[in-house]
Amino acid sequence: MADVRQEEFPAVTLTYEKGDLIIKEGDYGISVYKINRGRVLIYAERHGKNVPIATLGPDEIFGEIAFFNKGGEKRSASARALEQTELEAWHPAMLSKEYQEMPPALNYVVRQLVIRLLRMNRLLVQLTEQEEKRRKALEKSDPFVSRRRFYRKPVDLECYYRPVGLQAKSRLSGRIRNISLNGLGMEIAVQNTANVSHVVGDSFVIKTVLPSGKDLDLEAKIVSLKQSETPSRLLLGLSISRLSEETKKVLGFFLLP
Amino acid sequence: MENMQPFMQLYLTGEENYESGDIIIEEGSRGNWIYIVLKGQVKVTKRTKLGTVTLNTLKQGAVFGEMALFGKLLDGRSASVIAADGPVTVGVLDFDLLRRDYESLSPRLRLLIDTVIMRLKETNEKIAAFVLAANRKGPGEK
Repeated sequence: MADVRQEEFPAVTLTYEKGDLIIKEGDYGISVYKINRGRVLIYAERHGKNVPIATLGPDEIFGEIAFFNKGGEKRSASARALEQTELEAWHPAMLSKEYQEMPPALNYVVRQLVIRLLRMNRLLVQLTEQEEKRRKALEKSDPFVSRRRFYRKPVDLECYYRPVGLQAKSRLSGRIRNISLNGLGMEIAVQNTANVSHVVGDSFVIKTVLPSGKDLDLEAKIVSLKQSETPSRLLLGLSISRLSEETKKVLGFFLLP
Repeated sequence: MENMQPFMQLYLTGEENYESGDIIIEEGSRGNWIYIVLKGQVKVTKRTKLGTVTLNTLKQGAVFGEMALFGKLLDGRSASVIAADGPVTVGVLDFDLLRRDYESLSPRLRLLIDTVIMRLKETNEKIAAFVLAANRKGPGEK
């Protein structure tokens, strides 16, 4: 960092333990933080519950909204350390001065962006809440979903899947995160949903190989959908709708404690 | 737009007129024009398999296409912008001038602005995925 301008901005290094609150929604403050080490969860508090917005890692920035939106603006979300985390806190005075003195047209464009981001974040929090309610209602009405509470083995298996009834060439990839005889949890990239429908009720043919080397081939339907803690990823909850006797044996054996 | 800020007037290089439904920016296409809505409204939309999701409606004074301005080169426009609700007039802003302004900023301030853009893109993607999920009813739902 030989950049002279960087040296003009003193940065303070802060360390947080797992679970520590870094920013509280509604508080005042315009410091900006850069993550040197660790992971930070950004979330909103709605009706006594935490709605996750994003998980950030090294070299990522947070606190930028209040910085741009200053003039008595409160923090629009909370931030909490997910593990031991080291942050660099940028003192806002110098940055603020530069922001205020930047060409007015650029300032106007940036301000618009920040307003749009705030609006879209609020919409996302609303949608996340709705999806959570939907899932809850579904759990009550669908016995298949309620049974999801049964023991599930945590795994990390690469898998391929395609919508039931479509050609194998529309093959997508994901990672199975947990599995039981009734259902499984699968993490996928958000972009998988760009061309193939991924909504509650959709069925997929899923193929993977168990650590034992045995092939697993089954059909399952989506019963829930939520954001993963990893950005741009979704977590699908699936209930198994077709499982051959042979596969059932293989899976049953794998699930033995 | 009579009450347009004088400093924005200086960056205006031209005006374009559109009718309802005309595409002003097409998702995935390349281009770095930046626009400001002078009259009427525009819709920001994203394509999905089940159809098009409207993310936002922008009114007079709103800037769009600005993501092309910041940070690294993007892989094309991240959403479409369509004229909505009667005739629309947009102003075309001077990209080179705005880009020069941006490049004159300190690395930290640029990083902050880039972060806002990245967050907005991520948020839009997530919203499109949710809208998609909500558009179809699950089993057991009426």
